[in-house]
Amino acid sequence: MMLDWLVPTLISVLLVLASIGAVRRINLWRAGQAEKVNMLAGLLAMPKRYLHDLHHVVDRDKYISRTHVVTGGGFVLAMVLVVCVHLFGVDSKILAWALLAALVMMFCGALFVYKRRINPPSRLSKGPWMRLPKSLLTFSITFFVLTLPAVGVLPEGFGGWLLTLVLSVLILMSLSEMLFGMTWGGPMKHAFAGALHLAFHRRPERFGGGRSTGLKPVDFGVGVSAKEVHGVAKPTDFKWNQLLGFDACVQCGRCEAVCPAFAAGQPLNPKKLIQDMVVGFAGGTDENYAGNPYPGIDLGHAKGEPNQIITDGLIHPDTLWSCTTCRACVEECPMMIEHVDAIVDMRRFLTLEKGETPNKGAQVLENIIATDNPNGYAPASRTHWAADQNLPVMKDVKQADVLFWVSDGAFDMRSQRILRAFVKLMKAANVDAAILGDEELDSGDVARRLGDDATFQSLAKRNLATLSTYQFNKIVTTDPHAFHCLKNEYGDFGSDALQNVEVLHHTMFLNRLVKDGLLQLEPFKGGKVTYHDPCYLGRYNGEYEAPRELLASLGIDVAEMERSKFRSRCCGGGGGAPITDIPGERRIADMRMEDVVSTGASMVAVGCQQCTAMLEGVVEPRPVVRDIAEILVGQLVEATSISVKEEVVHE
Amino acid sequence: MSDFSLEEMLRRDPRNEWIARNRLHPLHDTVLSAEQGERRGPSGLLRKDPHLVGFIGPNGIKRIDRADVFSSVGAELAGKKRSTEAKAVSLPWHIVENPAGYIMVVADMVGGRLTRHDKDILGLAHQLATEKAAVAVVLVCFGESKETQFDLAGVDRLIHLAGQEFNGFAPEARLAALEQIETQFYPDYWLFPDSVNGGADLASRLAARLGERPATQAWQVNGTQTLCRGASSSVDIRRATPRILMLLEECADAIDSTRHQALPLQIKPLAALKKSNGSSKMLDRGMIDVDASAVPLAEAEFILSAGNGIHNWNQFHAAAAALGATEGASRVAVDDGFMPRERQVGASGTWVTARVYLAVGISGAIQHMQGIGQCDKVVAINTDAGCDMVKRADLAVIADSDAVLAELTKLANAFMASKQQTSSKQGEKSDAA
Amino acid sequence: MPPNINVVSLVSIGRHPQSGRARRAEQDGRAVELGLTMVGEALTVLHAGNPQNPVLRQYAGMGLPSLTVLDQASSCDAVSVLLRYLRKNPTDIVLTGVRAERGESSGMLPYLLAEQLGWPLVPKVAEIVSVQDGKADVLLALPRGQRRSVQVSLPFIATIDNAAPEARQSAFGPGSRALFSIQKGDNLADDAFMEWKISPAKPRPKRLKVVKAKTAADRMKAATAKPVGGGGKIMKQESPEEKAQAIFDLLLEEKVIR
Repeated sequence: MMLDWLVPTLISVLLVLASIGAVRRINLWRAGQAEKVNMLAGLLAMPKRYLHDLHHVVDRDKYISRTHVVTGGGFVLAMVLVVCVHLFGVDSKILAWALLAALVMMFCGALFVYKRRINPPSRLSKGPWMRLPKSLLTFSITFFVLTLPAVGVLPEGFGGWLLTLVLSVLILMSLSEMLFGMTWGGPMKHAFAGALHLAFHRRPERFGGGRSTGLKPVDFGVGVSAKEVHGVAKPTDFKWNQLLGFDACVQCGRCEAVCPAFAAGQPLNPKKLIQDMVVGFAGGTDENYAGNPYPGIDLGHAKGEPNQIITDGLIHPDTLWSCTTCRACVEECPMMIEHVDAIVDMRRFLTLEKGETPNKGAQVLENIIATDNPNGYAPASRTHWAADQNLPVMKDVKQADVLFWVSDGAFDMRSQRILRAFVKLMKAANVDAAILGDEELDSGDVARRLGDDATFQSLAKRNLATLSTYQFNKIVTTDPHAFHCLKNEYGDFGSDALQNVEVLHHTMFLNRLVKDGLLQLEPFKGGKVTYHDPCYLGRYNGEYEAPRELLASLGIDVAEMERSKFRSRCCGGGGGAPITDIPGERRIADMRMEDVVSTGASMVAVGCQQCTAMLEGVVEPRPVVRDIAEILVGQLVEATSISVKEEVVHE
Repeated sequence: MSDFSLEEMLRRDPRNEWIARNRLHPLHDTVLSAEQGERRGPSGLLRKDPHLVGFIGPNGIKRIDRADVFSSVGAELAGKKRSTEAKAVSLPWHIVENPAGYIMVVADMVGGRLTRHDKDILGLAHQLATEKAAVAVVLVCFGESKETQFDLAGVDRLIHLAGQEFNGFAPEARLAALEQIETQFYPDYWLFPDSVNGGADLASRLAARLGERPATQAWQVNGTQTLCRGASSSVDIRRATPRILMLLEECADAIDSTRHQALPLQIKPLAALKKSNGSSKMLDRGMIDVDASAVPLAEAEFILSAGNGIHNWNQFHAAAAALGATEGASRVAVDDGFMPRERQVGASGTWVTARVYLAVGISGAIQHMQGIGQCDKVVAINTDAGCDMVKRADLAVIADSDAVLAELTKLANAFMASKQQTSSKQGEKSDAA
Repeated sequence: MPPNINVVSLVSIGRHPQSGRARRAEQDGRAVELGLTMVGEALTVLHAGNPQNPVLRQYAGMGLPSLTVLDQASSCDAVSVLLRYLRKNPTDIVLTGVRAERGESSGMLPYLLAEQLGWPLVPKVAEIVSVQDGKADVLLALPRGQRRSVQVSLPFIATIDNAAPEARQSAFGPGSRALFSIQKGDNLADDAFMEWKISPAKPRPKRLKVVKAKTAADRMKAATAKPVGGGGKIMKQESPEEKAQAIFDLLLEEKVIR
């Protein structure tokens, strides 16, 4: 009987082809830069990462998560059993029945995949992906029929040569997709690359509920020869596991759906960016890409080679500069791909090597280098805002319980109102706080997101040197960007200045004060209030509750926006986006303000001076924008009035 | 000039004076009220009757308004008139008969007139001149002069080089003339304005030619010591006073209380100039027509700036063209794509230094107000009388921008038309002459 | 524009106006920028001073493969050593800032060079439009954005005004990789400069409005009276014609309409 030898032959040929493809693919990844990964631990952890972490993200869309479990699980099981039953000819009815069951499961799943593809949402890529449900169905049906004789439901040799021929063609078709396509660039590639990507992820801390959001530093140190290029110029300048990560993309477009720059019509689409990276390291053009393009840039003109400079023909620099580094795409990616890392890596090349930071970028970086603040104010005027605040300066007191990290809001008249409000609250709670005064420097956030890691590292090291000379238990800052740098990024520079120091955002700190009953607040009696989660507080640091608890302590029932907490939409102020200022069709801040307006709130509470500036930049009439510290100060029951009252009572 | 007019002669009426002194005289009140304003005592001194000054305040108490706040306009005008008259009459002469030394002041003469900077330097020259006897302050100026008050600005002697070859950008010819002056007079000092109008350039050329080390950005000078700014105005350098000085504005007070001779000095024909004229290495091709709208914002002196309140952008551009203003914009107007980014005024855009800033439909966000902090005059056109821009403005118009801009464009066009007419008429006249 | 002319940009160590830190000097940066747009990497960038100064890397970061440094103490006079260099190496155009941001800031250096070399000097250049047949068309920057066109014969020295195109961004990578060709400089101390007393700039007194008042009351008024009003004039009810006329009168008064 022909099928007896044909099926095993087909399976083994395709398996061999798939292995060749796999080796080829692995070599493409290996063209990237070396990065130390604990391979064995990664591989061992992979199933758990897949079943727990990945599924957790996919599960935000119940429909597709269930579909995926059934289809994917069915396929993996079926494939293993197919190899046993049809390739090695293990003659076991139990196995055959199990195979049938797996195939039925897979078939049911594939039906739902098919249904999803009937009228797919625009974020999904079309093209080969439209073919996938059919391939899945074909696979399950074909092998179902093939397996029937093995369980004895059908006699051996049923159907004659015609059926044999039809089945052979179907086997070829479905196995091409499922095995050959898996390693030669078909939609099923995501399973192969995805599994390895999960195993060799560059940020293993992210699995198991952890968080790893700090950017990796550029190595300027010993061992880097002067000829080396900083940042990522060519696809092969990425780390090998970054390339692997790009290959894991399933083109589900969840990143695209949440990207503020994409929504604003700026030329960025995170999904397309990752696909362009694949085009880059595999070579070719973006003609076969079947998803939404970068807004305003036509498809089909991007060409890439592993050793070609990315911004010469593959990606326009504006695409890279449109990103606000809000991390919404990373948060949403079921494959846990690191878009922001890739974008900043490429920005580093543009800034450090080409000197092409657009618009105000060059000036801002020059200012930071010359004055340690982005606007070029005199460094000696950093403490002017606090002239009337009577704040102890670390230089004088040497130690304090709380070090108040003021950040560059010190130079901005609007931000100074937030600073003063916070200082007033600290004084009301009798907090032992001090500031660094003129010794404080810019945290380096802007320089780093603009790709100038040399300047960031210089600032970080000098700040750490200053910090290490003083004693304090907590650092509190009103600026989530500085908070992020201090908490997550300063650790890479081998200083013990921040060891045993708690880094807190002011909302977290104030929340503690309120809980400890150190602040007397009267209930807020204004209108409806909503809260905007700053990206660098929320997604970067996972702090969603403290600000809400603070508002609740004032009796405010926050009218949540549709996109809040980990799905919060960026204000457009991060990642140096207001500085590089890439034109789009709309402003991100305007869109965010529309979100605010749609809740019917008359006030939006924020916890970030940058968000305050961006949202207040929206043309009036609009809801008022207040930092939480400002709202709290408005409700503060002054200690003096209490004591006066007490005196009256005593008399 | 009639120094002595009949009107100004003091005439006294002894009888009226007697009545005025005698409070019991029946005509006392009438005489007093008739003479109110100016009464002179027996010695001719102005007298005031303390009983008549002042007025009764709202609470019935007598008030004397010495600061003259309430009758400002009229009194001020009168005061001005009086003082100018007095000046014309009384300024004493400062005469240097046979000068033993000279101080040369080379003026910028922007637009053919002495600038304030020039006048300050003339003032300084006189301070230096007092340190030696019989030193004449000589003004050296090139090209066409429209200045009529050299005598009041402190010019003892005048070297006016009006030749065609000195016009425009002619550093070689001017330098040759200065060299000639140097050999002929060997002045004690050469004073130049340290200005962008050519003073610093000419001074540096002369210093390099003469091998003198000049003082630049000098702002406190006497015969022995000079205080200069250095290192981009971050330090003061105290040094011995050299012969060639480039002086900052307000280095001394201008002359305002003496009259000077302003006698012309002749210099010998310029041999050196004739020689070099043929083979001049620099050739002035004249001024370039600069489109006001192309002037960088930071340099512009008159900015018409648009904000969210502008709806008719064609009209705005037309108004800017008619007024010859450089266009600016608020952040919102730029974000909305109506104006290019390099036209944005404010803390996050360009910090401007315009003399006049005309803000149309800009309410004045704090970042914007920071950016216009150095503007002299701010004019606002806005519908919201309570906005920050109106509070900052020297002149604010509460109206919709459309109507006012249309009227302004009309006025500007009419003004230009009338100017062209007069200039063409003048042209005809001069042709006829 | 012929690339076969030799352009030299002279650079100095600048000073940031707010922090006082060493930086790429504003005008010298523009001189390098202008040189780079004219002849690209064939530009010679020349500095007389300490070759170890990190600021030189900021100039190099503009994309210079190399920088020539005449090694001498930064307090020494640069004229003689620059003269020797310019006499030895064929040069057509020398570009430099108008005034240095450190030291005396006299702006005399280009004039001294021009005088000694016998070359013409064009001051405050905004743009070099073309170089042809041994002559260059340059635009001089005048106040308030005005420009004057001047033709000058090669070789010449040009001082670059702030109106010239802004210096391109300095990139860290190329800056740290650029090669320095170091030549020995003179060590002629600037004796006169050493004798001067240098102190931080004192704020200059604002000129007071001197009122030569005849009477005591007038003097009293000048000394004590507040400027009347303070806020500006606000026009609300008038017709648009009157409002426009008021604005136009102010413009005429300020002489911005001519």
